Amino acid sequence: MKSLKKYWLAIITSPLFILSVASTYALEYEELPDIKPGIVSIQIQEPVRNVGYTVGDILTRNMTITIKKPYQLIDESLPIIGYERRYKGQLVGIDLSDLKHVKKEHSDDVTHTLSLSYQVFTNNLVAKHGSLPQEYLRIINTQTKEVVKYRIPSWDFAISPLSIYGAVKIESDMSGFRGPLLLDNSNLKQYLKVLLTVLALSLLGLLYILGKYTWLPRMGGPFAKSYRLIRRSPNTPQGLQQAITSMHQSLNTTAGMSVFGGNLNEFFEKKPSFKPIKTEIEQFFALSRQVFFEPNAKHDIGHEPIKWLARFCRRCRDCERGLIPDALDSKV
Amino acid sequence: MSDRLLADWRQHALTLETEVNKVVVGQQNPVRLITIAIFARGHVLLEGDVGVGKTTLLRAFTRGIGGGYQRIEGTIDLMPNDLVYHTYLGEDGKPHVSAGPLLMSGEDLSVFFFNEINRARPQVHSLLLRVMAERTLSAFNKEHVFPHMIVFADRNQVEKEETFEIPSAARDRFMMEIPIVVPNDDDIMSGLMFDTRFHNVDTLIDTVKPDVLKFDELNAFSGVIQESVEASKTLEKYALNLWKATRKPTDFGIKVTNVDMNRLVLAGASPRGMSMMLRAARVNAWLNERTAITPEDIHAVFHETVAHRLVFSPVYEMRRTEIAREMLSNIINAVAAP
Repeated sequence: MKSLKKYWLAIITSPLFILSVASTYALEYEELPDIKPGIVSIQIQEPVRNVGYTVGDILTRNMTITIKKPYQLIDESLPIIGYERRYKGQLVGIDLSDLKHVKKEHSDDVTHTLSLSYQVFTNNLVAKHGSLPQEYLRIINTQTKEVVKYRIPSWDFAISPLSIYGAVKIESDMSGFRGPLLLDNSNLKQYLKVLLTVLALSLLGLLYILGKYTWLPRMGGPFAKSYRLIRRSPNTPQGLQQAITSMHQSLNTTAGMSVFGGNLNEFFEKKPSFKPIKTEIEQFFALSRQVFFEPNAKHDIGHEPIKWLARFCRRCRDCERGLIPDALDSKV
Repeated sequence: MSDRLLADWRQHALTLETEVNKVVVGQQNPVRLITIAIFARGHVLLEGDVGVGKTTLLRAFTRGIGGGYQRIEGTIDLMPNDLVYHTYLGEDGKPHVSAGPLLMSGEDLSVFFFNEINRARPQVHSLLLRVMAERTLSAFNKEHVFPHMIVFADRNQVEKEETFEIPSAARDRFMMEIPIVVPNDDDIMSGLMFDTRFHNVDTLIDTVKPDVLKFDELNAFSGVIQESVEASKTLEKYALNLWKATRKPTDFGIKVTNVDMNRLVLAGASPRGMSMMLRAARVNAWLNERTAITPEDIHAVFHETVAHRLVFSPVYEMRRTEIAREMLSNIINAVAAP
């Protein structure tokens, strides 16, 4: 029970303690002497604009402070993140939200790179002044143990209201910060996306049609179609006739003329890529002659002409695609 | 027996070709075509420039075939009766009538050679039409028959002066019209100029082995060829499509350079023409030791059996040879088999 009372007492008294410590720091700074000129040099990079900020915005000051030895920055004097600043007892509404500190020692001095980010927690019905507060740093002379102060100057800016107070005729408001008034175009964007998709699909379809119904060059040619048909052809006289007819049609389509055993040289002149399979083409015409015209004629294709035709057609397909045909004895 | 008969006769035919090729050089294709016509029992019209060897070629064949050979020159004043008889005053001072070239050899007439046929009048063409179609002639109150006769004729298409165009009905009686052109081979051309054996045609013809064929057996053997060489259904369909293409080339997408195809053809090949084409194709198959006709056999005789039968619009007649050749080539390229 006693310990519980202790906790409550600590919770209640802690803000009072913090407040008393803060006021003690302020008093300490006022009492400390300023550092002599020439010891500390500073370069500050302020935010790019000094107007147009409102509640929630974060403003960052980047600064490089160089302190000559034997003076040295007391790190504990750097601003405290989250510390609420007051002016004449009122909260100013600009708090340090982030601090980055990089220290680099040289032979004669030390360079401190500070990045101070302040967040605006205040607003008004009309524009009002705001400022990133001045900060005091304590610096100690390491030889004499004398402690002095250095002031980082404040930076003024304007805090804008979130909305304009009262009735405003928007067309007459020529504020450059407002930006152009935009119409809602989300439906049009959606519509545009749909149309672009349709256009893309149409172009793909057109490409497919112009490519003679093939997705890649030299694919889906006459012999590729014949090959699919011949592989499905039954091993019957009708199937054989159908397969040979399909091969004839493919040869004719490829040559752009009717190809016969008597004009093969003309065919090879037109399509030199088929020259490697000249012997097989002649064998094919001998087979065709036996099947369609002269049953007594002989050919040297063997007893399974359908299988031979499938292999032959695949070689023709290779020639059609500009490839070197596979060996005829490879498996289907 | 039939196979042996076919092989024996094939050997005779090839011997005849060899003999003719010895005296008429660089003309292998026309020689083959005339051989085909002889065994298909069809009349032949040769077409070519002056002095290219048409007459020599026909005389060489005539010697090889054997049988009676008669010849007449086409002139503008030639009359039909000049082919049948001629009259003269004999030594006894009396008028005499003797047989003309058509009747002189009687039934043994195997070759009737009509030189420069397009110089003869239409009346002569008319008589010749009947003789060619029916191989008969009525004269002196008697029907004369020429069962073994083949008419060889030639014409010069370039020279038009004092000539009569052979009507399409007369052209259709010829199985083939064969173009004779000067060979392109330099050696052959040089030989024709400098080889003295070509200077005397009579002596040259005498070097051809006579009577290689038995002219009076050709009709019967021709029937054997036609019966023994078969035509498949696929080939029948192919030939039918070729015929249709000659009649309506636009249906098969046939085009000829600078020609309005809708106006070009007035009449395509005739049924007789297509029948003759297949007779010739059968003989070609036989000569190539085949037992059935293939598309290549038709191609071998297609131009020569069809081109002269096509009837073109008069505006295109002047370019007949060139247009017919291109059109028929395109037909062969367009019609597929199977």
